[in-house]
Amino acid sequence: MSVRHSLLALLDREPSHGYALKAGFEAGTAHAWPLNVGQVYTTLARLERDGLAEPAGSDDGPRQTWRITDAGRVELARWFHGPLVEDPPARDELAIKVLLAIAAEDVTAILDVQRAAAMERLQDLTRQKARADPEREFVWLLLLDALVLKVEAEIRWLDLCAARLAARGGS
Amino acid sequence: MSATSVDTPILALEGVGRVHPTHSGPVRALGPVDLAVRRGELVAIMGPSGSGKSTLLALAGALDRPTEGRVLLDGHDLATLASAELARLRRRFVGYVFQDLNLLPGLTALENVALPLELDGVRLVAARDEARAALERVRLAHLADRFPDDLSGGEQQRVAIARAFVGPRALLLADEPTGALDSVTGEMVMRLLRAQCDAGRTALLVTHDATHAAWADRVLALRDGRFVDHAATPRGVGDPRASAGARSNPEARR
Repeated sequence: MSVRHSLLALLDREPSHGYALKAGFEAGTAHAWPLNVGQVYTTLARLERDGLAEPAGSDDGPRQTWRITDAGRVELARWFHGPLVEDPPARDELAIKVLLAIAAEDVTAILDVQRAAAMERLQDLTRQKARADPEREFVWLLLLDALVLKVEAEIRWLDLCAARLAARGGS
Repeated sequence: MSATSVDTPILALEGVGRVHPTHSGPVRALGPVDLAVRRGELVAIMGPSGSGKSTLLALAGALDRPTEGRVLLDGHDLATLASAELARLRRRFVGYVFQDLNLLPGLTALENVALPLELDGVRLVAARDEARAALERVRLAHLADRFPDDLSGGEQQRVAIARAFVGPRALLLADEPTGALDSVTGEMVMRLLRAQCDAGRTALLVTHDATHAAWADRVLALRDGRFVDHAATPRGVGDPRASAGARSNPEARR
């Protein structure tokens, strides 16, 4: 998760102080990722060092207000408009576990346990979708969709592993 | 339908199996399996092709007979019923939804939904009233006079669900009902099915789409004609309903 670019996106809307940035980030991402206010200040200091944001005086009492710079806008546009590519792919504990378990005697049981747990997680997320208000909680609903599809991908991969193992065992 | 107790499963499979005789010897398509579906439940069955999903659904709906075990619909052992009684029970009690070919093209949505009641001898006016009520439950009353060809795929499946639950019909058996639909429409159909079950109807659904199966109360996996044993599964956080409201840090919950 790029806190750095998230803060630039918020500062691009309007100059803000640190606590407002924390609140704005959390509200904008359906409160899925709590942000430590200390992390906000550390990140703001790095943005200032890199010339992407700067102090804008203290309009709001004792709190320091920050604004985005022109260089910050360029960096933000690069982030928004370029694709996010994971290279190398993030370390995936499930994949590592399954790949290393292929040599084990009963990899099918390992796949079954993982699949059942993933299915429960999918049911849990789906209940949350059922409860979400499509108007007031639109952002939350989009995030739930993303989480649902990640778990679905995991289930499909586990099924594919099971099918390939069965085909290999049967041939 | 009958005076059976509320605790009687609406559908029960007891040691049910199906073996097909072929010229290269008997081939087991299913079982033996046990399954009890309670009133108001939505149960999904997943499994690869050839795992016995469709066989199970056909046995549950009395479209096929088991070679072993008993199938009970609302407490009635199907093997003990004469074929006329069986047909009547099936018509009054069970509705079907398939991936496609659900509706008769020459009949309007309303006429399609009313058809099972009319076949069962319900007077025309009463049947149409019931059908209109069923269409209202799937929020399609305004399209009652449309022909299937003038409805979208999602709307057609909603009409099929209305017909499956028309009048006293309490059990819906569905084989890949969302298979031909895009994600958003498929989800709408599942939301509707969920709402019908929350209102007391019951559904058994076969699907290979995990995101749609996830709308069910229970998801069962079939493999080689048997249910995959989940006994070894560590149950995570107790009743998922209890934690369903939590939304703290999904990343940390992986």
